[in-house]
Amino acid sequence: MLSPVKLWRRQKEIRSILGKKGKVVTATTVFVPTPEFKKYAPYTVVLVDFGHGIKAFGQLADTHDDCRTGTRVVAVLRKTKEVMQEDVIAYGIKFRIIP
Amino acid sequence: MTHHPAIIGYYTTRFGELWDKSLFQLVREAVDGVMASCRTETESMDAIFFSNMMGGILENNLHAGAKLAEVLGVNLPIFRTEAACASGGMAVHLATQYVTARPGTTVLVVGAEKMTDYAPEETASALMSAASGEEQSAGLTFPGLYAMLANVYLETYGYARDCLAPVPHKNHFHGSLNEQAHFRKQISIREILASPPVASPLTLLDCSPISDGASAIIVSSNKSFIKKSAHAISILATEVATDTISLKGRGRLDELAATRIASEKAFGASGIKPRDINVAELHDCFSIAELLAMEDIGFWKKGTAGQRAKELSTMLGSGGTLTVNTSGGLKAAGHPVGATGIKQIGELFLQLTGQAGKRQVKKAAYGLAHNVGGSGGTAVVTILGQR
Repeated sequence: MLSPVKLWRRQKEIRSILGKKGKVVTATTVFVPTPEFKKYAPYTVVLVDFGHGIKAFGQLADTHDDCRTGTRVVAVLRKTKEVMQEDVIAYGIKFRIIP
Repeated sequence: MTHHPAIIGYYTTRFGELWDKSLFQLVREAVDGVMASCRTETESMDAIFFSNMMGGILENNLHAGAKLAEVLGVNLPIFRTEAACASGGMAVHLATQYVTARPGTTVLVVGAEKMTDYAPEETASALMSAASGEEQSAGLTFPGLYAMLANVYLETYGYARDCLAPVPHKNHFHGSLNEQAHFRKQISIREILASPPVASPLTLLDCSPISDGASAIIVSSNKSFIKKSAHAISILATEVATDTISLKGRGRLDELAATRIASEKAFGASGIKPRDINVAELHDCFSIAELLAMEDIGFWKKGTAGQRAKELSTMLGSGGTLTVNTSGGLKAAGHPVGATGIKQIGELFLQLTGQAGKRQVKKAAYGLAHNVGGSGGTAVVTILGQR
């Protein structure tokens, strides 16, 4: 079960990154996920550098195309994984490619 | 005369999908095997080091020391090590410190993992406990993390993904010669490249498998015991280095700094140079990991492994001065996490004492084992040789 307290603690960090724009450092498209991400596979995960030593991991929203280093992305709020029916919905960071 | 602690015996179970055996049945087989090979018994040991990563998560089984005491019927001090996939190397490291601090002692080091009792995605999920929370939340897996490292490497040095395939091709050839290996089937470069994607650019045959297995060695600083044993090889250096658990905290992603630091320390402590090493067991959890290790340890120059791997100079019978992963590596021998680091050192013991049979490297004098935890958060480098 997802701990609501843990999720609540992470919210501050999520809030500080939302809306930030950055560049992809590296990426991979995951075809064989862990159980809670099965529904989303295949999906692309990127490591994004926002500058000033701030980096974050997240999935690309709306696409699972391979994504090259240097691609510009913006952090958006999305449901990030499947949880049990009575769990708190897991919202977190995903990234949208800036066209 | 040696002043170094020595390894005097090794036994490993077969690695693979061993459905008829439990974790502690595997441990029992490995312990009985290593004791028989040294004509000694568990009661003669001064301590036991037990390496296991996932018993706590998958089997709800912690306090493994007491469990092991029950299984073996001993009251010895038992220490469990956990450093993800480097648990085995860590156990050998600590055992070496123990017998060095207490001259005249002899200890058993045993590592085991039971991974096939659960659905592969459950095991994959348990393995991810060795990565950062953020990496887990982003839906990354270990193939995914190493795929990210692979993409950085390929982009930085201008390689295509076909530069990774020689690694599993070579290691499966070695595995075909190892009766204890999980996979004994040779695979071609074409089959590797055409296998289904797991995490781009890595395909199924770039990835080490989920295996069951147990391996054990005996480490001693007891001079008369070492002298009496049929085979002995000195531990010339064992060094551990750590790094951030998450890839995002690292300065560079085209190397594993922990490997580089542990290697530098191990070469420094032993006075051995990379070119002196004849046999190496490197942590090839994914094909990219062996390329990075070849460079980070200093066997090959940074950025050249993608090209040099294609020459297959580290394959048995190539005539090269260094042969890598004669056991089959993690890829073909299998990767029961807690056992891996001990199997690596056991394989070097066989090679350096002329007991490696069909896969024997001629005139092997010095061996190096490289065991990595997570995506490079821990690295253990051990150098063995006759001295």
